[in-house]
Amino acid sequence: MTGKERIVAVLSGKETDKTPWVPFAGVHSGKLKGYTAKEVSQQGDKLFESLIEVNKMYKPDGQPVMFDLQIEAELMGCELLWAEDAPPTVSSHPLESTSEIPTYIPAADEGRLALEIDVMKQMKEAVGDHTALYGLITGPFTLASHLRGTNIFMDMILDPDYVHQLMDYATDVAITLSKYFVDAGMDVIAAVDPLISQISPDHFKEFMHEPFKRLFTAIREMGAFSSFFVCGNATMNIGPMCETTPDSLSVDENVNLADAKKVTDTYGVVIGGNIPLTSVMLFGNQQDNMKATVDLMDSVTKDHLIIAPGCDMPYDIPIENTLAIEQAVHETELVREMVKNYEGSDLVFEGVLPEYDKLVKPLVEVFTLDSATCAACTYMLATAMDAKEHYGDKIDVVEYKYTTPQNIARCATMGVKQLPSIYINGELKYSSIIPRREEIVGEIGKYL
Amino acid sequence: MAMDLLALSEFLQKGRAKEVTELVQQGLDENMSAKVILQDGLMHGMNIIGEKFKNNEVFVPEVLIAARAMNMGTVILKPFLADAGVQATGKVVIGTVKGDLHDIGKNLVGMMMEGKGLEVIDLGTDVPPQKYVDEAIAQGADIIACSALLTTTMTQMKAVVEALDASGARDKIKIMVGGAPVTDSYCESIGADFYTADAASAANKAVEICSVK
Repeated sequence: MTGKERIVAVLSGKETDKTPWVPFAGVHSGKLKGYTAKEVSQQGDKLFESLIEVNKMYKPDGQPVMFDLQIEAELMGCELLWAEDAPPTVSSHPLESTSEIPTYIPAADEGRLALEIDVMKQMKEAVGDHTALYGLITGPFTLASHLRGTNIFMDMILDPDYVHQLMDYATDVAITLSKYFVDAGMDVIAAVDPLISQISPDHFKEFMHEPFKRLFTAIREMGAFSSFFVCGNATMNIGPMCETTPDSLSVDENVNLADAKKVTDTYGVVIGGNIPLTSVMLFGNQQDNMKATVDLMDSVTKDHLIIAPGCDMPYDIPIENTLAIEQAVHETELVREMVKNYEGSDLVFEGVLPEYDKLVKPLVEVFTLDSATCAACTYMLATAMDAKEHYGDKIDVVEYKYTTPQNIARCATMGVKQLPSIYINGELKYSSIIPRREEIVGEIGKYL
Repeated sequence: MAMDLLALSEFLQKGRAKEVTELVQQGLDENMSAKVILQDGLMHGMNIIGEKFKNNEVFVPEVLIAARAMNMGTVILKPFLADAGVQATGKVVIGTVKGDLHDIGKNLVGMMMEGKGLEVIDLGTDVPPQKYVDEAIAQGADIIACSALLTTTMTQMKAVVEALDASGARDKIKIMVGGAPVTDSYCESIGADFYTADAASAANKAVEICSVK
């Protein structure tokens, strides 16, 4: 199955050959090509280039184009604070001290919305045949809070009519953007509404049920799938969210996936989640990420399931951690063995490391998770083999896959921390980011 | 009939500001002690809200509306508390770290701390590390409390720890940290003193810190 077939199948309630994987690489995509968060948020060419790299390296079954909840708000007059390593943040709320309801609906050719739609079309053309593309809209409640500010929470009690009207408006905007995105080729429209976790199930039913149901019904009528993304501890709202009839939910690590899945299963709604963003993806190592993913998958039944990060991936997540997760999702049994061997306390390296200072010719060692299945590993090995083709017998190239206990022990002895990586004469030269052919040829040349 | 403190607490929990102010005024008119009205009425109610928030029984709107009622009651009490020589049990300088504009969590923590009788100095959002330290020293605060919602801005908490270290006041002021991406191990790794997972726990911890000083 292609990734797209997997996403379509799971969202249609059908079986898949492997569990689908949707890495939420928003501004993190820029890290793969050396661009800042601001660059990929403002420049279409850099964004497209970065997203193509994500598609190549992380092998997503489904892929978001932008994960930016400020695009609509910016068009509606919210000021933004920009950062080099994070999406922008809303810094002013135009409706903070007025109770008027706006009528403005963004047009497809305005502001960063135009950029986003253009990149969506390019992505559809480039990878849309094999990858399901996700168009993300700001959920109506979060959009309403961008416009109104924190007051919206008290409005729910003090002025409920106003909140109903503002939600209706924000939902009109959400439906309009959904249509733009479906027309641009998006397969799944995700309403991202982190603030849903901050209100009670009673308030959800009172203020959110109708707007979200209207939104998801509209998306279905457009012929696309829908998803409802939430962040924070939304445990109490999982059932109410399902009742708004999205095709899927996505939750972060504040929700217990196994418990939540029991609820979503009763509604026939797919659940996605929830690899911890900070403790595991950002601060963990590759083994932590493999183990967390395998454990997460073991905690739930495999039907109606998508594995994804808890939320938008922080810019600086190490690339190799995401590669490890992709392997764990798609090659679960292989990775389960890797984790088991890695954790085995009796693992001793029985071989002998080369005497790197006495080598007759340069030795290029390629350490991979498994070059047969991990895309980045395949490219890393290929670039080393290109160099081998260039230099012929003047150099040696050898690959060590993390699939055998002795290779795991070798990595431990060598101090190899990221896979894939390339060592020349025992020195780490490249990890996770694949060097260009001329780069590695030049580097090896220094050792001849 | 004497003012019903339990009713006051219950109205506060429901955020019924009108009834709260009426009962506070009634209590004062009946010569009830301002301290008793504060502690057994307003703070009693706010504590229950804090616990319910921690246990996922109430959510942000309910806490904000209760805190609003609390504030309106406290405004009436304030002159009487000062006359009676009732003092805050400790002083906290609170803010969201530099580069981060998210203030809901920080506000909730501040409200819970006030609900526990602490004096809270709110520096707002996007607060530079040195500002926490300068303000804390100038105000004679016991605690600096830092909030962050983003993984990219929580690293600023380390800069706050370093700024306090450099100020020479490290032994007098404790640093508390919190926010969605923050964990106990992160707190430990940057050398901050305490992490708490929710607003009520933060307020309890702050009271504990101030009581041993």
